[in-house]
Amino acid sequence: MTWVGWRLQRTETFIVVGILALLAALLVPTGIQMANAYHHDGLAACLATSPNPACANAIGGFRQRFQSLLDLGNWFNLVPGLIGVLLAAPFILDLEHGTYRLAWTQSITRKRWLLGKIGMPVGAALVAAAAMIVLFTWWRSSSIHLDGRLDSGNYDFTGTVVIGYTLFALALALALGAIWKRAAASIAVAFIAYFAARIFVDIKVRDHLVAPLKLIYKGSQHPSVLANAHIVSMHGDLNGRRVIGDGGFFFGSTKFAAPRLDNIVFHVVYHPQSHFWPLQLTETGLFVGLAVVLIAFAAWWTTARTA
Amino acid sequence: MNDTAAIRTSGLGKRYGSGWALRDCTLEIPRGSVTALVGPNGAGKTTLLHMVIGLVEPTDGTVEVFGRSPRRDAQDVLPRIAFVAQDHPLHRNLRIGEMLHYGRSLNPSWNQGLAVARIEQLGLSMKQKIGQLSGGQQSQVALTLALAKQPQLLLLDEPVASLDPLARREFLNAVMAAVADDGITVVLSSHIVAELERVCDRLITLAQGATQMDGSIAEIVASHRLLTGPRSDAASVARVHNVIRESHTERQTTLLVRANGHVHDSCWEQHEVDLEEIVLAYLGYQPGNGAAQAPALEEIAS
Repeated sequence: MTWVGWRLQRTETFIVVGILALLAALLVPTGIQMANAYHHDGLAACLATSPNPACANAIGGFRQRFQSLLDLGNWFNLVPGLIGVLLAAPFILDLEHGTYRLAWTQSITRKRWLLGKIGMPVGAALVAAAAMIVLFTWWRSSSIHLDGRLDSGNYDFTGTVVIGYTLFALALALALGAIWKRAAASIAVAFIAYFAARIFVDIKVRDHLVAPLKLIYKGSQHPSVLANAHIVSMHGDLNGRRVIGDGGFFFGSTKFAAPRLDNIVFHVVYHPQSHFWPLQLTETGLFVGLAVVLIAFAAWWTTARTA
Repeated sequence: MNDTAAIRTSGLGKRYGSGWALRDCTLEIPRGSVTALVGPNGAGKTTLLHMVIGLVEPTDGTVEVFGRSPRRDAQDVLPRIAFVAQDHPLHRNLRIGEMLHYGRSLNPSWNQGLAVARIEQLGLSMKQKIGQLSGGQQSQVALTLALAKQPQLLLLDEPVASLDPLARREFLNAVMAAVADDGITVVLSSHIVAELERVCDRLITLAQGATQMDGSIAEIVASHRLLTGPRSDAASVARVHNVIRESHTERQTTLLVRANGHVHDSCWEQHEVDLEEIVLAYLGYQPGNGAAQAPALEEIAS
């Protein structure tokens, strides 16, 4: 069974290894560049001490040089999805080509077949996700030091969520393929659905996975707890009148020539840095939970509805 | 448990949505027999075989293979049955040697020597990719996979439908050789009647999801007669014999009957009928409807 499982998943495994190798080929040289610049410009020392103009320049220079690269790196959000859906291919191909009938009429039970056919890609997805986490965390280490782990680019790539994303994409393709029995179509639709689900969770769900904190303070100086925090929403009031909204500054009335920041009361809803792991684990749980439901569905549909 | 039956079904039925693919099928297939399951496309042959191998759960009734349920006792039943599905699915990107490795990995009683010998006999090499073989060669590899499992019961679903006449003959020869060697029970479904007589000793016809005829081929052929005589109605004959099909021209009536003993009436001229014609007559026969016109040959053989 192990040989059979491996032989029939070999091509997809090689493709996934190829994708990871390509990813490494893109990330390692640029990662080394970033790390060198970070050390060369003494940014670590800057971050350790209180801000001064020289440091602000160094940090500004680093951002100018690498921010667009880091932003471009956000497209790698597609990679866990791509790897996940690809690993579902052997399962769907067996259904598409009718070779599952060959397997089910050998001497192994359907349960055993399912266990291998789903267990192997799940295992491969976990290994690939772990490799991605290591690679991305190393690549983004400078950015983590500068912007913290709650920065959305860093958040998406440097925690356990990557495992959840990869498994979810795999499970989505398995479930679609179990019903549809068309590998190429199921994989394409699962990939699009994965992307849509990611965007939806990012925009609508993530901020509420863990109850955010509320902070009210007065004045122009941000309290230090807000450093590298993730701001869910904020507004500023002056004498009970809203003068700063989520969109930035606006003037509630022409009576004020300009709001005096010192007197503005800020209401901030935010996730502090310490919420990184609670957020990560909850979001991972959400995606892994969805994956478990989808996989159970695929297994049930295949045993009960496929002949 | 009766030791003489390889397969026994009782009131077996399978419904898909609102339609029955097979209904109220009761039959017994003795051990060591080679049974042809004949019927037009959509008659329920595949459904019946799928329930026997345990791919499909029956809606109604029971099926037993060597006295056991193929679904509930899959672990006991599966090693004893081999199945070659319609269009003999194989992994096209595997080499023949790998396909055999697949069989060896998934079956405890695998006979590698037999498999290798058969592949050599076919003039194939272990290095050849399945996808590059002809349809006939693929069906032979599928049969090799089934035989190397050393089954006691071999189920073949439309094994020759997609093959040209030469490949068809070679395939059936291979089945016959295997049967002669090991005395395994074989059930093969087909919508093509030609050549089955050479291979099979029993015949079951299925149409519209129900069995119509079930028995030994020698007996079936011996008991059926074609009667021709002056135009008349079949009533007098039908009192004694079963009229399967009647057809009339302006001056002549032709009856296909299953005779109960001899036909004595001198106004009928008697002829022997071959199996194909009997099968075609049965497939056009609607129970409760009296005799009906047999479907055109093309309808069944296409």
